Amino acid sequence: MATMNVNEVAIDDLQWIIEYNQDRCTLCGKCIAACPFNSIEAGVEKRRKVISEELKPKPKVIFQTVPVIKQVVNIKNYCKGCGICEKVCPNNAIRPVKNPEERMAIKHRASFGEPLKRGGRTNLHTEGRTLDKIKIGRISQMTDPSLDAQRHTFNMLAPFGRVMPPEEIPFTIKDGQLELSEEIPPNRWIYPIIIGDMSIGALSWRMWEALAIATAYLNEVVGLPVRMCTGEGGIPVRLLKSKYLKYMILQIASGHFGWNRIINAMPDMTEDPAGVLIKIGQGAKPGDGGLLQAQKVVKHIQEIRGVPKADLLSPPNHQGLYSIEESVQKMFLSLSSAFQFRVPVAIKVAASVTSVSVYNNLLRDPYNIVGGFFLDGIAGGTGAAHEISLNHTGHPIVSKIRDCYLAAVHQGKQGQIPLWAGGGLGMSGNLAGDTFKMICLGANGIFTGKLMLQIAGCVGNDFGKCNACNTGLCPVGITTQNPILVKRLDIDKVAENIVNYFLSTDMELKKLMAPIGNSSLPVGRSDALITVDEHVANRLKIQHVC
Amino acid sequence: MSKTAKRINIQGIVDGQRKSTQKLLQEVYDYLKQDYTEFDIHASGQHDIGGPLWSEKNLPLKFNVTNPGQRVGCMGMKGTQIVVEGSAPADAGWLNAGAEIIIKGDCGDTAAHCAASGKIYVGGRVGTRSGALMKHDPKFPAPEFWTLKNTGSFSFEFIGGGIAVVCGWECENSDSVLGLRSCVGMVGGTIYVRGNIKNISDEVFILELDENDKEFLSDGLKDFLEKIDKPQLYKKLSEFGKWKKILAKTFEEREAKSFVPMKDFRQNFWVKNGIFGDLIEEDYYVAEFVEKGDLRLKYPEWRNAFYSPPCEYNCPIYIPTQKRIALLREGKIAEALSLVLDYSPFPASVCGQVCPNLCVDECSRKHVDIPVKTAALGLLSKDIKVKPPEKEIKKKIAIIGAGVAGLTAAWHLRKAGYQVYVFEQDKVIGGKLKQVIPHDRLDGKILELELKRIENIGVNFKTGVKIDKKLFKTLEEDYVAIITTVGAHLPVVIPFEGHERLIKGLDFLKAVNAGQKPKIGNKVVVIGAGNAAIDVITGAYKLGAKEVTAIDIQKPSAFDKEIKHAQKLGAKILWPCFTEKISEKGVHLKDGRIISADTVIISVGDRSDVSFLGSEYLDDKGIVKVNEYFQAEANHKIFCAGDVLNLGLFANAIGDGRKVAINVDKMLSGKKLDKFEKTPMIPQDRIKKEYYSPIHPQNVMAMDTEGETERCLSCGVCRDCEFCMEICPEFAISRVSHDDGTFEYVSDSQKCIGCGICAGVCPCGIWTMISTS
Repeated sequence: MATMNVNEVAIDDLQWIIEYNQDRCTLCGKCIAACPFNSIEAGVEKRRKVISEELKPKPKVIFQTVPVIKQVVNIKNYCKGCGICEKVCPNNAIRPVKNPEERMAIKHRASFGEPLKRGGRTNLHTEGRTLDKIKIGRISQMTDPSLDAQRHTFNMLAPFGRVMPPEEIPFTIKDGQLELSEEIPPNRWIYPIIIGDMSIGALSWRMWEALAIATAYLNEVVGLPVRMCTGEGGIPVRLLKSKYLKYMILQIASGHFGWNRIINAMPDMTEDPAGVLIKIGQGAKPGDGGLLQAQKVVKHIQEIRGVPKADLLSPPNHQGLYSIEESVQKMFLSLSSAFQFRVPVAIKVAASVTSVSVYNNLLRDPYNIVGGFFLDGIAGGTGAAHEISLNHTGHPIVSKIRDCYLAAVHQGKQGQIPLWAGGGLGMSGNLAGDTFKMICLGANGIFTGKLMLQIAGCVGNDFGKCNACNTGLCPVGITTQNPILVKRLDIDKVAENIVNYFLSTDMELKKLMAPIGNSSLPVGRSDALITVDEHVANRLKIQHVC
Repeated sequence: MSKTAKRINIQGIVDGQRKSTQKLLQEVYDYLKQDYTEFDIHASGQHDIGGPLWSEKNLPLKFNVTNPGQRVGCMGMKGTQIVVEGSAPADAGWLNAGAEIIIKGDCGDTAAHCAASGKIYVGGRVGTRSGALMKHDPKFPAPEFWTLKNTGSFSFEFIGGGIAVVCGWECENSDSVLGLRSCVGMVGGTIYVRGNIKNISDEVFILELDENDKEFLSDGLKDFLEKIDKPQLYKKLSEFGKWKKILAKTFEEREAKSFVPMKDFRQNFWVKNGIFGDLIEEDYYVAEFVEKGDLRLKYPEWRNAFYSPPCEYNCPIYIPTQKRIALLREGKIAEALSLVLDYSPFPASVCGQVCPNLCVDECSRKHVDIPVKTAALGLLSKDIKVKPPEKEIKKKIAIIGAGVAGLTAAWHLRKAGYQVYVFEQDKVIGGKLKQVIPHDRLDGKILELELKRIENIGVNFKTGVKIDKKLFKTLEEDYVAIITTVGAHLPVVIPFEGHERLIKGLDFLKAVNAGQKPKIGNKVVVIGAGNAAIDVITGAYKLGAKEVTAIDIQKPSAFDKEIKHAQKLGAKILWPCFTEKISEKGVHLKDGRIISADTVIISVGDRSDVSFLGSEYLDDKGIVKVNEYFQAEANHKIFCAGDVLNLGLFANAIGDGRKVAINVDKMLSGKKLDKFEKTPMIPQDRIKKEYYSPIHPQNVMAMDTEGETERCLSCGVCRDCEFCMEICPEFAISRVSHDDGTFEYVSDSQKCIGCGICAGVCPCGIWTMISTS
């Protein structure tokens, strides 16, 4: 018999409450069939009334048993609010409604004695987004010639790799021509938006392949030199051996997953990869290592990563690194030598109060081997993390990229180690605006991951909706390895949508470059930015307006 | 040009002083008012010569201009002809609204910019962005813009109408006679081009000329070449094979994506069979949220009798009460009432009277109102007759002890056809059921009926026979199996000081049942408070005791029902009480209290006498060592059951007696013996109690026993209600009848969407959803 005690989870504890309209429901069963979390189920309810219909009291029992759809109330199968039930219901009879009274943050911890984990981004929005407080305020009006986004050609390229200052480039003159007298560090000029590092494992194979196909398509068909960072979860050998490897930035993180296959595929590679990105940390969960929960470690993941089925926890730090200098020596040198110094190597760290010191240090790199500094801000997304890390650790990206850029300017070394920014860029849906502003503040380019998933059909948001990437039960087949759920994802459609998003973003970026009169990326052109927020203006050293 | 036209010569520089544009134009206006219509203007870069001007008398105007400034002919109107000898700077013909503008040399940038009517003829080349934003107002003739040579880059941007002709004369080696990035934003108009075109907007199509185009060009070219004084070029230029026509894509054509479809890209360009092709079988099928067959997230299984109902699970005899009621529900009354006899020969005596009915402890119905009345159900079987076995088996089996365990074993083995001999040391059979249970708890007549039923099927009884070692040896030789069910008839006495004053509970009860009326005082203390002690209390009151107290060192083990019965009689039950000694005063407790008593009866358990077995059969405590099949470890043809192993309820003794009978049969048939592992009890939440309307307990008690068919929830066993069939939204479920009278429900995976409504509504908890992964 259903009884309820104080310490049991009750419906009003849950984050989402299923709003069910029995009058509209025909019990077609679609909602239950589609829900991957088993958060709703069929059941029966009693209706019992004791009434009197006569002129004197005479009890009459009216009794009915009614089949209904019910919410499952327990600590494991609770509704994540993904809303698939609402999508499939032909009668508008069911939907999840956010429960402002929820107590899951307490119940979960009190029940399991372990931290709450989830996917997604930070769900705390204590301040507005800084980037939304900034506008592009310097519009060429009878001053410098403005450009026409449609008509003009733009140079939309950003460097990945060490950029040598002109005076240090070892030129000699031979037969009246400039010639390099020795090798210079490798550099690739690429599109200023990199598809961020999301691993095979975190993503379903269809999602990951769709990203790879979209990247290839953008390069080969559209002509946008977009690069994709593989994430660290291994890379399919068939991709390593294909010509499309040249669009891939290989990642190495603390788990070093999949590198055995990369190394062994080297003799069969027909192309160099676009670059290597050493991941030290992630903006969404700085100080916390990678986390792939066991339910996602299926056979092909086990194979690619070389591990058994288990919760895969990458350490929060590289086990062999103790200092910035050591990182430069060991990681940069080794990974540069892996591809015989032909491939640029960059590093990604979570934005931190210490980022500027690190960047300053890297700028002094005497070996010219640091090919990029990727800073990942607090609003980045993740497939699985402890909620404490997601909501309470990290550093916003905007002022940090600005500080790093100005530090480089102070040394007269801006642009030498390209700055790439990420972490919540595009989270409002418009990537072009965020990209442009970050570039004006000093970034050479940006990287984005979560947005790609949202383009692909992710139903979650940053207000607690779904955020179930860690469960391995992604209802739309993006962050799951469950073959039935993966099949829900249309690989071609996803790739097409991503390509379309890049096409729009490309045009929108030009729409922002044209009025400020830049036909190449306006790196550091903070004069183009204004804000009505005085604190933001002061902190970022941009114009305060009102 | 009329011969009467008034003609005037205007100089841009007079006396070495250049006139401003405004001054020069105002001179033109003045002459115009004086009906001058022909102007020879030797300009010095003055702007905007030629328009918008008109004659009040509607006469044609002609301007012969040399050295004009920017925007010559701009805003020119119909009826105006402007001829520039030599070249003109930027914006010639800007916003032309109908004038004929002939520029015999080259033009600067943005020639014919925004021209909307009229004709512009250029005898040389034109600069960047020429022809941009030309348009055609349908109320006016389309603008024409003829250029002998080529255009600068970005020409014809945003052109929306009109005709432009670029002859490419002397540009045969040029990469592009339209420069680079021309026609961006072109939405209308026609551009005829002779020569190479490169890096043109993707918003246009380049086509071959058709007959109309050739006709237009051959007429137009003659006119154009006349105007720019180069008629000799006609022959060369009229080789129309070298011409192309540029048209803007239509709105619909623009909508069409020009990129290769993603699927084609994946199939034809991407890594063959995908980058995971060696790891995963991928058919690229895109599933809907709701699918059938293998793509369901979960699927139903009809798990009939997968779990035990609570009644069956909790009954030590495993009597399937749920099944008895199901048979009653089907109207198979005889079958229903006989079924219990396959488990116990004492349904009326034990189930119906003395058993605490553990079966209903967890009866699901108690969550609706009160449990199913199983005791009453048991009593219904008291008169059921059972025939002796049809087939006799010659094998002889000895059973020592005619208590419930022995009688149950005898019952089952005899029913199976064995020759069963039961040895009993008492004069009558029935064991403790007969000897110690107070008559107010057990109707002797009913017991006799059931004992008789056992005799009637041909069990042989040898009463008054005490088995000793010698006799046992003989039995061992004569019988293929021996079952020891001697019970426990040696009451335990704890050696307190004064223990000789104690009366043994078992002896007391036997004496009471035998009608001997043993003598007791007014105050009786019973040491022990188990179920047997309660019988002692009952007996003491019956014999006239005024005050009975039972004490125990722990929480009394008697059932609540029994304790309440004793308390109702007036008994006090105290615990924990630790006895120090017994004296004439009564029972002295270790805490100093004295419970005064005239008579003290001890009822803390009984031991069995198995001295006829050798010590090799026994453990340290004198209990027979048996394996999990109830076989004596020392000799596998010797089995034990009942109190001889463990003091328990009658139901336990019956249950063990049955198990032993089954294992003896198995052993004698050469089959593997059974451990009698139970299927787990059905979880309560699988049973949908919501289907049952609660009935007031008083009304339940007043109902016929047959009415229990309506109350039993049929836990874990399909009641064949067809609810699942009716409610399944996909009609995936059907009922299949088998030849043996059984049935099953099946779900068709090709119809089922895996919603689990069948499982959600199944009253008995049969349908179960299984996760696919």
